[in-house]
Amino acid sequence: MKRTFLVFRKDALVLRRSPLLLAILLAYPVAIALLVVLVASYGSSKPRVALVDEDNLPPTVTIAGKRFHVDRTIDEISKNVDLVRLSPDEADRQLEDGKVVAAVTVPPGFVATLKGMIQSPKVEVELSHGTISSRVNQQVQALVYSLNRRLQRAYIGNNLQYVTLILQGGNGTVLGRQFNVLGLARSERLLRRMPQTPQVRQLEGFVHDARLALANTGDAMRAVAHPIEISYTHSRGRTRVLSAEVQAYTLAVTITFLTLMFAAGSLAAERDENVIGRLARGLVSLGQLVWAKVALAAGLALVLGLAIALAFGVVIQVGNVTGGEPWERLPLLVAGLLLAGGSLGALGALIGVLAKEARTASLVALLVVMPVVFLGLIPPEVVPPAGWASALLPFTHAYRFFSASLWELHPWSQVARQAAWLVVLGAIFGGLARLGARRLLA
Amino acid sequence: MSSAQPLLAAHGVSRRFGKTTALEPVELEIREGDGLALAGPNGAGKSTLLALLAGALEPSAGGIERRKGLRVGWAPQRPAQYGRLSARENLELFARLEGEHEPEQAAMRLLDEFDLPGKASPSANLSVGNRQRLNLAIAFLGRPQVVLLDEPTAALDPEQRRRLWERVGALRSSGGALVFATQNLEEIERHADRVAALRDGRIVFSGSAGEYDRSQADTLFA
Repeated sequence: MKRTFLVFRKDALVLRRSPLLLAILLAYPVAIALLVVLVASYGSSKPRVALVDEDNLPPTVTIAGKRFHVDRTIDEISKNVDLVRLSPDEADRQLEDGKVVAAVTVPPGFVATLKGMIQSPKVEVELSHGTISSRVNQQVQALVYSLNRRLQRAYIGNNLQYVTLILQGGNGTVLGRQFNVLGLARSERLLRRMPQTPQVRQLEGFVHDARLALANTGDAMRAVAHPIEISYTHSRGRTRVLSAEVQAYTLAVTITFLTLMFAAGSLAAERDENVIGRLARGLVSLGQLVWAKVALAAGLALVLGLAIALAFGVVIQVGNVTGGEPWERLPLLVAGLLLAGGSLGALGALIGVLAKEARTASLVALLVVMPVVFLGLIPPEVVPPAGWASALLPFTHAYRFFSASLWELHPWSQVARQAAWLVVLGAIFGGLARLGARRLLA
Repeated sequence: MSSAQPLLAAHGVSRRFGKTTALEPVELEIREGDGLALAGPNGAGKSTLLALLAGALEPSAGGIERRKGLRVGWAPQRPAQYGRLSARENLELFARLEGEHEPEQAAMRLLDEFDLPGKASPSANLSVGNRQRLNLAIAFLGRPQVVLLDEPTAALDPEQRRRLWERVGALRSSGGALVFATQNLEEIERHADRVAALRDGRIVFSGSAGEYDRSQADTLFA
């Protein structure tokens, strides 16, 4: 234990003597973490969609008695896409080039069909090939859905005018012909004035029931048009950049980069400096040497992880962000940082013994860290094999541990499960590194 | 402890690196007061044999036998120290690992004896000669009874060579032993009493230093 500590202390001293390296290695993963957040934010960015108007849409259209300003309506309903008007040829070209991700074509006769209110007019949607086409499809569907809702309101309003006419009576117009309707209310009044024979009373009863039924028509039509309504309320939660999820990702990405590279590099450096032979002749066993690197990684993860958590916390507290920083969870985070750092350090040590030279080990660690991180970022429900592979690497468990400790109301079961994963993976990678450490002596 | 038992012995020790045989089975004994020179051309197996005797390498076959409680110092041909630590920090670290009771004092003593700079600058910035002195100084930590030195005088100036041999002479006089690899016939004549000459991983000559003359050296290097 004392010898492991002596090697650990030496590594800490060496690290302290390399401030530039430390700064670069700290800045690099933080930059990567922020880039990951930006890439993730792309999921909510506006895709560019072409609008091909083959019907020469007029500035205003009156449908079901309601006047629509076409451009204003398009602007209002296309908030989630960047809709650009293009000619058919230009839209085709830009779709092929990938400058637009979809083209929505309004075919000739669209407005006339819409005004006729008998057939549903169609818009044609052409999607680009690619990974985000399903998201674009959803946004185009949302766009058409928003338009349909506005039209439904107009249609329902128009149909309700006729229902009101039947209820109250009065003058109406259909296909340009004017007519007068007695209406159920006036019919009821007339019937009351008539001699109250059984037939008249029957008619009165029917008219009364019909008035009640038609009085609910508006609600019924709206309910049929929208069986489920969505009620939106504005959240007062924190921004995505300061969210617990981003904190957890930033911590996990940063310590993964640092611990893998430092553990791999510092173990291989023992051979580069020709010291490993001196140590291995009874001064420090190969096992002690590997565990010293694991301890170095755990210590590094703790110091830098806490620094990042404190930086987040200060920004959140100073900015008076909703929810505040969960300072009371800091001890749990400390445990997670040590476990994750150790587990990742063991993987780094394995890379170090396989690569044998410090430069090669650092390069291999850098090459390994990218897929390790990105595997962990792929939702397992989307690509199950990625989920299986990342379950065998410490990054995902580190992220889940941090996320649970910062986020979940009852984190214990999740934290215990991820801690067990980290310990088991650390023991496996550490054991393999110890077995492979003989290679460093050759 | 019986003086009949050697301080250090190699019994059929050999070493392979992959498919390459660096050292064929070797039989060797080191006794109190011994000064054994390992001679031979580059790649003969001298450094491998020293590393095996030091315990820095594990033999592929055979075994190394050490007298119980024996302390061995080893200076490999390429300096083995931490470049980002100063000479004093290197000495203190290895003194602690060697189990020196007063590591700071041991480090200061060796800094003085090997005329090493006490500055805090990293040892990687030292001259080649100073790095070799530090390499040798580390070998003398832990008060070794046997020192294994691989081409120890390479890069040392004449004064430092003299001081090194003086120190080694004192160790042998007090019942310790020296094994060193060299290609310098003069050093063999002056500081060794036995010679084991190696070529292609085999001991091709084993005898007294007096028997190992220039003609044999010329044959060995031919």
